[in-house]
Amino acid sequence: MKRKLLLINFSLALIGSVFGQQNQIDFREFTLDNGLEVIMHQDNATPIVAVSVLYHVGSKNEQPDRTGFAHFFEHLLFEGTENIGRGEYMKKITSIGGTLNAYTNSDVTYYYEMVPSNQLETALYMESERMLHPVIDTVGVETQREVVKEEKRQRYDNQPYGTILPETMKRVFTEHPYQWTTIGSMDHLNAAQLEEFIQFHSDFYVPNNAVLTIAGDIDYEQTEQWVRQYFIEIPSGPASFYRPNIEEPVKTTEVRDIIYDNIQLPAIIQSYTLPGKDHPDFYALSMLSTYLTGGNSSLMTKELVDNQQKALVVAAIPFDLEDYSIFIMYAITNMGVEPGDLEGEIDALLTKVKEEGISDKDFQKLQNITENNLVSANASMGGIAESLSSAKVFYGDANYVNETLSYYQKVTKEDIQRVAQQYFDFNSRVVLYYLPKTAEGNQ
Amino acid sequence: MKKILVFTILLSFGLGIQAQIDRSKYPEPAPARAIKLGEASNFTLDNGLQVFVVENHKLPRVAFSLVFDRDPLMEGEKAGYLSIVGDMLMGGTANRSKEQLDEEVDFIGASLSVTSSSVYGAALKKHQQKILDLMADVLFNPVFPESELAKLKKQSLSALAASKDEPGSISGRLVNRLNYGANHPYGEISTETTVEAITVEDIKTYYETFFQPNNAYLAIVGDITAEEAKPLVEQYFSAWEAAEIPTFEYPQPSAPSENTIALVDRSASVQSVINVTYPIDLTFNSPDYIASRVLNYILGGGSASRLFLKLREDKGYTYGAYSSLNADLLAGSFSAYANVQNAVTDSAVAEFINEIKKLRNDGVTEEELANAKANISGSFGRSLENPSTIANFAINTKRYDLPDNFYATYLQQLDNLTVADINAVAQKYLRPENMHLTVVGNASEIEEGLKSFGKVVKYDNMAELAKEISMDESVTPQQVINQYLNAIGGKDQAAAIQTMKLESTAEIQGMSLSMTYVHDLPNQQFANKTMVMGSVATSTILKDGKAQVTAMGQTQEVGENEMAALKIGMYIFPEIHLEEAGYALALDGIKEVEGQPAYKLTISANDRVLMSNYYDVASGLKIKTENPEMGEVFYEEYSQNEAILYPMKMVIKSPMMPMPLEAKVSKLEFNAQVTADDFK
Repeated sequence: MKRKLLLINFSLALIGSVFGQQNQIDFREFTLDNGLEVIMHQDNATPIVAVSVLYHVGSKNEQPDRTGFAHFFEHLLFEGTENIGRGEYMKKITSIGGTLNAYTNSDVTYYYEMVPSNQLETALYMESERMLHPVIDTVGVETQREVVKEEKRQRYDNQPYGTILPETMKRVFTEHPYQWTTIGSMDHLNAAQLEEFIQFHSDFYVPNNAVLTIAGDIDYEQTEQWVRQYFIEIPSGPASFYRPNIEEPVKTTEVRDIIYDNIQLPAIIQSYTLPGKDHPDFYALSMLSTYLTGGNSSLMTKELVDNQQKALVVAAIPFDLEDYSIFIMYAITNMGVEPGDLEGEIDALLTKVKEEGISDKDFQKLQNITENNLVSANASMGGIAESLSSAKVFYGDANYVNETLSYYQKVTKEDIQRVAQQYFDFNSRVVLYYLPKTAEGNQ
Repeated sequence: MKKILVFTILLSFGLGIQAQIDRSKYPEPAPARAIKLGEASNFTLDNGLQVFVVENHKLPRVAFSLVFDRDPLMEGEKAGYLSIVGDMLMGGTANRSKEQLDEEVDFIGASLSVTSSSVYGAALKKHQQKILDLMADVLFNPVFPESELAKLKKQSLSALAASKDEPGSISGRLVNRLNYGANHPYGEISTETTVEAITVEDIKTYYETFFQPNNAYLAIVGDITAEEAKPLVEQYFSAWEAAEIPTFEYPQPSAPSENTIALVDRSASVQSVINVTYPIDLTFNSPDYIASRVLNYILGGGSASRLFLKLREDKGYTYGAYSSLNADLLAGSFSAYANVQNAVTDSAVAEFINEIKKLRNDGVTEEELANAKANISGSFGRSLENPSTIANFAINTKRYDLPDNFYATYLQQLDNLTVADINAVAQKYLRPENMHLTVVGNASEIEEGLKSFGKVVKYDNMAELAKEISMDESVTPQQVINQYLNAIGGKDQAAAIQTMKLESTAEIQGMSLSMTYVHDLPNQQFANKTMVMGSVATSTILKDGKAQVTAMGQTQEVGENEMAALKIGMYIFPEIHLEEAGYALALDGIKEVEGQPAYKLTISANDRVLMSNYYDVASGLKIKTENPEMGEVFYEEYSQNEAILYPMKMVIKSPMMPMPLEAKVSKLEFNAQVTADDFK
């Protein structure tokens, strides 16, 4: 492993005239017989350790009439196991001085704990319990159903602009499961029987669909021994997993809609479909987004927020997902500005980039910003654990965390113009206007 | 790879016969590694600037963080200016325009940000000199351009407008106002008027008064040694001259004498934002401080705390319930909060009160204390992963006048606490009989239930008392309607008008707007078109029992719920028809409309309030209509048209528009000829 890293460094040194050196993350990895991938990173500076399990299951692996299952499981798997009583999971981690949480998105479900390093064995034991035999019963299901309903209200329904992502995704994707939200349908959750939840667990929450990552104040040998001790007995899951292979048809005409919300200032959301996150163009697209709205001197922030003052905020977000990604142009108007007026200016600037590309000086700036971001990334154990496991699942190699820089180095000034031309296709985009409810009807 | 493979093989030999593990209990922890606090070197310049350097060479980055310490300020009629001081400093210097400044910061991939009490710059080590140049330029040579102020005011006004719909912002304003009062720095609220009043002079005066070295701390953290930092600091900051800094005192806020419900009606809410709160007297250097952390952790500090377990895991009322005991040099506060389902709002408030009461009366258990200690020391340990924590510890020690060894002995002090210590702070800081029970939510669904906690006082979304005047209980909706119909010329005269065409004009930001309305009662048809500079911008057509709304070229069929509201608009004088058409009418007291007392009449269908009309108590005339979906319309300048008094001016206030829209009637025709073309 060491030698491989060394080689990469060497090659970077040869090409890398512009970029400095990326912070190298040393790690070890192994795979258990049951298929569980394990990654370890040692850093003894602070006596803490991050333990995470990434299950390669998200809302895209759900059936259309049972949406919200993956996220629901994120909740259910805190309920308890055969040896850890209901409600004990959170209590135990916090009472040993740790913190824990989890998230679910369209592609993965990620659980993590940060504990004092002398409690590593306990954290590993607990994650193994959750994978081996969680208790999935009616009491847990009933309670978490209510909790999830409130989560939905809090995040989406009661939040001004809260429904932007769901409203966008359901229009961008008409075939692919990205069309539904991670939180899913409350009707589906209400209709689901206990057996269905248990089945979903055995379909996806298994060692050969998971990556266990440990980062922090550890001893490699001891850690590996504990991992084997607690995880080796967990039976392997199915030989293959349902991963939708659904092609989303390319739109030939623009989709345009209005959403009336409890808001005061109109918002404009344009979405352009991109390939999955491991596509080579993603690096240029990421730099393009920085060019458009990253920092006060960026094209759109300078022009639309400072000069024309038509926008209160403007943001270009490359929203990266496994199968398809989307590039979101998002802007909120200043008070009294017509959304159509602001959108016209956004389109004009996008067209300018497509036609004229960017200057040498701006390209140099983008390289400097990228360098700064990469050097600053992975400053915490929690962040490192997450980067390593995502690298393993999405790029097939944990060492991707050390290679990211080399991909950015390949991007040229011309690539940035090219991806703008290729992906900012006004005829296949989705445009949403969020307007105040007061604008609905005959006013 | 090979190395790992070999290692794996060795391991499977060596550990092949593993002992059966006991899954029935938790593993024993290994011996804990001592938590060691890093060192901050410090020195003070002759001008009083206190500097702290924390070395951390893990990443090639350096951060410079300058913090100004001053008493909190009353902003008075300029409320809101402190929040734009920072951006005004970033608005350009004597050497660089804003554009140049932004470009130079971004060009090196650095960050530079300023607030009214801090300047922060961070960059890669190799750009250290450059970021210091930029930081110093902003700090010492700002020019405060007038144009930048105009832009920032515009942004502040937009943000203020947006905040009026955000349940969290509405709740935050209410909590601060109730806890601290309007005459306290923490209870001040900026409004459109106060933001408009801010001048460049206000910003300049503030900067000149408070940006001084003798009330500043500079923390330097990262890939730098104290030896290297000292000459740099001297180079950039030693010419900065000290000056006297004014101090301020404020009265201590007090908790209410009994529990009071404060409700803001947000009719669109599908969840209630609850915050149970009162001010407390707790400072960072109080001997109770660490015990108060333990107390709060047990009550509502996290996902294993009492509030979370009760309201989420037991009851399923909410996604999360928490509490905080905020220490502050001037005035602290207690808060317990959650977003809950509408239907359980009162039950959730009751649970909050119960849990606070129970903790105060019955105290904590040994187990809870042990868990809380472990958790707090765990988070103390985790915080040390970030090197700036040590710099913050050093600055806090000076700023809050803490004992020199406060952080070094923090874990020991924590460990020494007993159940009796925690119960004593519970007695002192938990006041279950003296709380503001604040709720932002849909009043029509939750107000009744909240009455069981005492008088419900209603506030608006800017934390001002919602005005209500007492009404004679015997007045009925029909009486108010009759009074109105009589005032405009009598029911029979009004009912005789079967069709109407009305045109009105308005101006908005230099554009002229015209609106036409055509009503046709015999055929149950209605059309409304808004023309902007000659072309139709929006239209609403109701015919054949269906309605279509067209806006920005998009046509939408109107759903059943909206239909009920639209139908009311079809009538020329809806008051004649409402009851017969099956709408439910109710009087909701007397409210003030532009200072005039008016009956508020609500019109509902299917238990949903569609709109509210306001009728002047004195004249009987309808002076305002309000629709939760559309905003407010004020009716003015009633004048005689044939036998009917009709308002010739409508003022439309909608949050969508920067200023009220004044529409003047230019043409009004009763019993006009209507054709099918009018409804296309």
